[in-house]
Amino acid sequence: MLAWLFLLPALAFYSFVVIGPTAQSVWFSLFRWNGVGPATWVGFGNYADFATDPLIGEALAHTGVMVVFFSVLPITLGLISAALLSRTRSRSTGVFRSIIFLPQVLTSVVIVVIWRQLFSLDGAVNSALRAVGLGDLAQPWLGSFTLTLPVLALAGTWTTMGLCMLLFVSGAGNIPTELYEAARIDGAGAVREFFSVTLPGLVPQLAVALTLTLIGALRVFDLVWLTTRGGPGTSSITPAVLLYSKAFTQQDVGGAAAIGVTLAVLSLLVSIVVVRITDRAAS
Amino acid sequence: MISRRERVLNLAVLVFMSLVVLVPVSLLVLASLSPTPNGRPAFGDLRWDNFVVAWQQSDFGSHLLVSLTVSLAVVGITLVITPLAAYGLAVLKAPGHKWVFLVFLAGIMIPLEGIIVPLYFTMRATPFSSTVVALIIAHSGLSVSFGVFWMRAAFRSVPGGILESAMIDGAGPLRILRSIMLPLSAPALITLGLLTFMWTWNDYFLAFVLVNNPDQLPVTVALGSFSNKYTTQYNLMSAAAILVALPIVVLYVVFQRRFIEGVLAGAVKG
Repeated sequence: MLAWLFLLPALAFYSFVVIGPTAQSVWFSLFRWNGVGPATWVGFGNYADFATDPLIGEALAHTGVMVVFFSVLPITLGLISAALLSRTRSRSTGVFRSIIFLPQVLTSVVIVVIWRQLFSLDGAVNSALRAVGLGDLAQPWLGSFTLTLPVLALAGTWTTMGLCMLLFVSGAGNIPTELYEAARIDGAGAVREFFSVTLPGLVPQLAVALTLTLIGALRVFDLVWLTTRGGPGTSSITPAVLLYSKAFTQQDVGGAAAIGVTLAVLSLLVSIVVVRITDRAAS
Repeated sequence: MISRRERVLNLAVLVFMSLVVLVPVSLLVLASLSPTPNGRPAFGDLRWDNFVVAWQQSDFGSHLLVSLTVSLAVVGITLVITPLAAYGLAVLKAPGHKWVFLVFLAGIMIPLEGIIVPLYFTMRATPFSSTVVALIIAHSGLSVSFGVFWMRAAFRSVPGGILESAMIDGAGPLRILRSIMLPLSAPALITLGLLTFMWTWNDYFLAFVLVNNPDQLPVTVALGSFSNKYTTQYNLMSAAAILVALPIVVLYVVFQRRFIEGVLAGAVKG
């Protein structure tokens, strides 16, 4: 029983901050409550409202775009680099590794400042376009109904790309050299070598990269809130931005909690599904 | 074995990926030194005093103090409570330790969005509502899952023979933790401290929701409102952004191996 004394401090913090509020989130989501007055029991009403609230659908559709930029693109780029580097088995050591990983240690607010500037009216992107004679394409990127979302999402690609690449390159470094030698003796070219040796050897790293980036895409808040607050209009709104505005500006605490619970369930599902699929692929 | 062509290709990939990272970062640095509000690079006229102006206008000093207080306090608390818990689970094998570990681990999969709304109301009902104390408690609670996971793995890699002989010598559990487990796990402790510091320092969302008091805001949230106030002054905004990023970037340059290995190994937690 003495051993439990060692667990107590961590359990106290953890219960107060994580376990308690998790349970409360579920409970809150079953009420209509403005945060101050009395709460009304609505059962699954807040979840049922998702079906009729066009903003929820729009936010989820935007999450789909985020998935492409946060997950699909970085993983593809990471795999390509790992494939190109694994043939020579040189790890991207030293200064390259440190540079490529750098965006991972920058806080979102700083990335936002970088992005705002790159894509501002007389920012670097527009200047570059004008310099090469494509001035007609220069535009206020973060004021466009169609381009704001992908331009913001591209910041996600920039942030996670290095992490994916280093994960895959270090994973490929652990693939036994004999497998590559065997493939070469069989006459495999670079492409076949990648699909028959590198890719299967990277399944565990793929699982990690997928889980991390998909959950990242699901949770986008800072990037959007600090640039457009979901605008122009609602063209860049995300579930987390919607959660924030429901809870703290529209006084719809129940609806906000329902979004929070849904995001938590989706994150859990992502983890479970990814583990299932990669387990099957590995066996 | 390795052909010259492959070596060149190799270098090309690394250089390309590095440039993709470096170009936007260099533009930020150049903008921070620019004499014009639009942040256009001007190599002949580097305005270092942009940093002074940004520091003063954003009241950076007081926010820096908040960020330092919160981050150091959270690192301190995490480095005490999570090794204790990990020791109770991995070495002392507290009754039900497997089950408790799963409860801790579940926290890694619960996104902040899933708890933020009730957490806000819980904190609001406490006497330290909207202060650094609320922020310290929240961050410490959120760091438990990863910390316990990380330290448990470190303790489990300590050879069982060392433990047994210490127990035969009659060393008590606290003594074993202090003079055997912790010294042997020092690298893991340092990495955990660095990662916790970075995650706490870099947080925006939690502080944004929990703290309204303008003089209790950490640098990230302060930069957020600063950059919204000075939307047209990219040079000052960039200088402020660099001030916010600098402490972590310096730590990163000094401890890059630990950061990269920690994040890559920690990533596998999912």
